[in-house]
Amino acid sequence: MDLNPPAGENYANPKTCLFHVIFKAAALAFYILSALFINNFVIIFVVTVLLAALDFWVVKNVSGRILVGLRWWNEINDLGESVWKFESLDQESLARMNKKDSWLFWWTLYLAAAAWIVLAIFSLIRLQADYLLVIGVCLTLSIANIVGFTKCRKDAKQKIQQFASQTIASRVTSTIQSAFSVV
Amino acid sequence: MSHSDTVPLHQSSQSDIDEIESLINASVQSGPTTVLPARPPSPPRASIPVVSSSPFIQSNLPPPPPLSSSNQKVPSVPAPAPPPPPSFGASGFGPVPNTLTEPVWDTVKRDLSRIVSNLKLVVFPNPYREDPGKALRDWDLWGPFFFIVFLGLALSWSASVKKSEVFAVAFALLAAGAVILTLNVLLLGGHIIFFQSLSLLGYCLFPLVVGAVICMLKDNVMLKVIAVSVTLAWSSWAAYPFMSSAVNPRRKALALYPVFLMYVSVGFLIIAID
Repeated sequence: MDLNPPAGENYANPKTCLFHVIFKAAALAFYILSALFINNFVIIFVVTVLLAALDFWVVKNVSGRILVGLRWWNEINDLGESVWKFESLDQESLARMNKKDSWLFWWTLYLAAAAWIVLAIFSLIRLQADYLLVIGVCLTLSIANIVGFTKCRKDAKQKIQQFASQTIASRVTSTIQSAFSVV
Repeated sequence: MSHSDTVPLHQSSQSDIDEIESLINASVQSGPTTVLPARPPSPPRASIPVVSSSPFIQSNLPPPPPLSSSNQKVPSVPAPAPPPPPSFGASGFGPVPNTLTEPVWDTVKRDLSRIVSNLKLVVFPNPYREDPGKALRDWDLWGPFFFIVFLGLALSWSASVKKSEVFAVAFALLAAGAVILTLNVLLLGGHIIFFQSLSLLGYCLFPLVVGAVICMLKDNVMLKVIAVSVTLAWSSWAAYPFMSSAVNPRRKALALYPVFLMYVSVGFLIIAID
């Protein structure tokens, strides 16, 4: 992963990228700036957590699908067990995904979580338990998305590998069979 | 020429690369092996629309299309999406409904309807209550999240002093309480899924939210006591079947008592706020 966006192409989905970034940035900005201007903790809490929750929903349901073609959720199957489901586009579409989009997606995800961790450390130093609560909620949401999408990406890679080896195996088998049938 | 693979090879002579490409396309169409099907619709909720919106795929085709065509696909979250062009399914993802390419508005509607249906299942009498595992199959945490925030806001509004502390305490109490109650059930050897239980306890807060709103609007002590006791009983009745079926019958009281205790303490918080 490099620090610079891949050159040579534009964002394929600029609106989605914008929304992906805007709620995260708004939550962080509101939290940081509100300490200077607003004295009311309740408003800070509700607005920050609401923005973080909106961001969680947007990343999970919209930008994850559109920017990197991944989706994850949890289901309870008939036996009453909890199953984590991962869904990804097939390999062709995944390979065609815009590189800049996915660079932005992953980097902003990590950066936002890192920013919340830094803010949490500040809160700890100042011993502000209630602000720590806000940061705790936002951090939980960010980390949930990171873990979910990372697992989904690994799962997608695994599926591609499986499929590739399956394809190769079936090609080899059919080649051998055709060789024998010719002979 | 036959082989054990389910996908038939084309009989015509093609280069190897073409054959592999057609294999990819064919198995994408036929198979759940490479693309997981979206979750099957279950009775109490809206069905997943089968839409693969083609601009989404088109935006990735080389040569890169003009940005306007990919822009039109991506609506803002609150605004409804323009209706997508006819399904691309025949050559894309086959007959399996695929939530990866549905319009954003569909996702919003699906999530909202899930919240409403979960609420109805948990809080109101319905035939599924006998089988709790099936009732909250589609757990989600959005409902509980909104209820906890709303309850905190209502309590904070009613408080005349220390509003921030009231809100923070209410939120932390409810969130931590739900987690601890779930752990309690799990440690008692119960069979319940962590998030399902969190979701359930959150949805059962709905009556107390109603009670808090009533208390917020009218300041009569008698009315408050009545409203809170009624909604408290309603909450406990809502939570009872799920919690009790999750544990061993001999330990039912051990699992239910803390739930009741938490709701009673929230009730007291509502009454005592002035």
